[in-house]
Amino acid sequence: MLSPVLMASGLCVERSGRLAVDDVSFALEAESDTALVGPNGAGKSTLVAALLGLLPRKSGNVEILGHCLTADGRLPRSIRAQIAYVPQSLALQGLFPISVKEFVGFGFDPPGPRFPWKGHRKRQQSVEQALQRTDCVDLRSKLLSELSGGQLKRVMLSFCVVRPRKLLVLDEAQAGLDFPSNERFQQLLLDLRRQEGWTVLHVSHDLDMVRRSSDQVLGLNRRLCCSGCPDHTLTPERLQELYGPNMVPYRHHCSG
Amino acid sequence: MQRALVGGLLTGTLGGLLGSIAVLRQLSFFSDALGHSALLGITLGILIGVNPMLVLIPFAIVFALLINQLVERSSLPTDALLNIVYSSSLAAAILALSRIETYRGGIRQLLFGDILGISQLDLIIVTILLIIATIYLVMSLRAQVLLTLNADLAGAVGVNIKIHRLAFIVLLAVVVAVSIKAVGVLLISAFVVIPACAGRLLCRRFPIYILSSAILGGSCALLGLLASGLTNLPSGPSVVMVQFMGFITALVLSSNRFKRKEDASQELSQTPDVNLNDP
Repeated sequence: MLSPVLMASGLCVERSGRLAVDDVSFALEAESDTALVGPNGAGKSTLVAALLGLLPRKSGNVEILGHCLTADGRLPRSIRAQIAYVPQSLALQGLFPISVKEFVGFGFDPPGPRFPWKGHRKRQQSVEQALQRTDCVDLRSKLLSELSGGQLKRVMLSFCVVRPRKLLVLDEAQAGLDFPSNERFQQLLLDLRRQEGWTVLHVSHDLDMVRRSSDQVLGLNRRLCCSGCPDHTLTPERLQELYGPNMVPYRHHCSG
Repeated sequence: MQRALVGGLLTGTLGGLLGSIAVLRQLSFFSDALGHSALLGITLGILIGVNPMLVLIPFAIVFALLINQLVERSSLPTDALLNIVYSSSLAAAILALSRIETYRGGIRQLLFGDILGISQLDLIIVTILLIIATIYLVMSLRAQVLLTLNADLAGAVGVNIKIHRLAFIVLLAVVVAVSIKAVGVLLISAFVVIPACAGRLLCRRFPIYILSSAILGGSCALLGLLASGLTNLPSGPSVVMVQFMGFITALVLSSNRFKRKEDASQELSQTPDVNLNDP
């Protein structure tokens, strides 16, 4: 059996002076897809930030690929290079002078200072392959700020796939996408996950999609209210416990 | 005059170089606040009887770090906070300067710059600073871009967010401090903002954008100083007016390019095989 890619134990995180994540423990098995669900303000993004070392922990431990995240959020560079992250949005006000090709190239470079021309040829090859695999070849010369929401999300996946990685974290990556864009993104993510052997942790509000695509669900409302496979976790009782008594869950007819 | 031209060229290049990142990271107003507050640093130097330019660099660094802390910890909007800080420090500096008999005549030079006052030492400092800034930006290009696009994305892929934010702010503070003599406290932010905005309108590749901002900054400064020397007008405002003309030219060029692109996409949309509704 493969060892977990990410393990959190007794994790407590404070944000703006209040305990936003309280005593959370879970593990992500290798090559699994885990959805983090819960109401707004439940601490999902805070938990993700703490797992990636972007926010300090009050207590608890995080282990990624067998290495402990230090108190100040550090990991060895070789481990950092195997983590990818897709945020909700990028700050692209007005004309942001960076092309798709350049942006994806930054995903290829390992962490740390380096001359940008180092390994240029290999980077170009990897970028072209990544753009092909995510159906973004036509976008290569466009500016990031010229892309539609769906195109930008596919380019973000190019950024992730441009070098081999083990762990992919998505924070409401599908937010703002219309139905066809969402379906296309989801299918692409599924294909890449299978091909690359990614372990995926994603924050989502789309419970129907979670039910269809995830192996494990973590229901968070400051504390971990429920966890397990979707069929056992996304039950009406559990969801009402997680979201409150006004939550009336129903399945899409098309999803069976 | 030769030293003034070299000083202007270096200062303008430095302003354009750092401005390219500062503008994208929405730090334009921050550089303005630093410039205005620098007058307080100069006043402190005069009051304690030390060469004001020696006091200015450490003052600017400490001041920048304090503003950064204030912005990070306060729940007030950043622009409002910066406005409070720079207007208060500017007022305090002018009040103090008006009490110092020996410096009354020098306020105009401080406000609008005196490029002829640049010394050999100033030139050496600006040259060293330009080398450091170039090496830092080239080596940390990936970090700068990712940090500007999304700090969490940058942190997740191994960029040390805190160090790079602080390093850039300190570098910007030092550049503002050493440029004050040439440009003056009132116009220093133009050196940082205008060439970068012109570059942003013209360029579609990140390294080219940084390079063109730096070249525009340097060349506008050179032209402005030549104009200042020929017309006997103050150096700072002359340079800023040349920068403004450069910006207007970039604006016209970019809108022409945008129009051509729109025409091309309209032609494409009339072709039935091309799907422009790609999500």
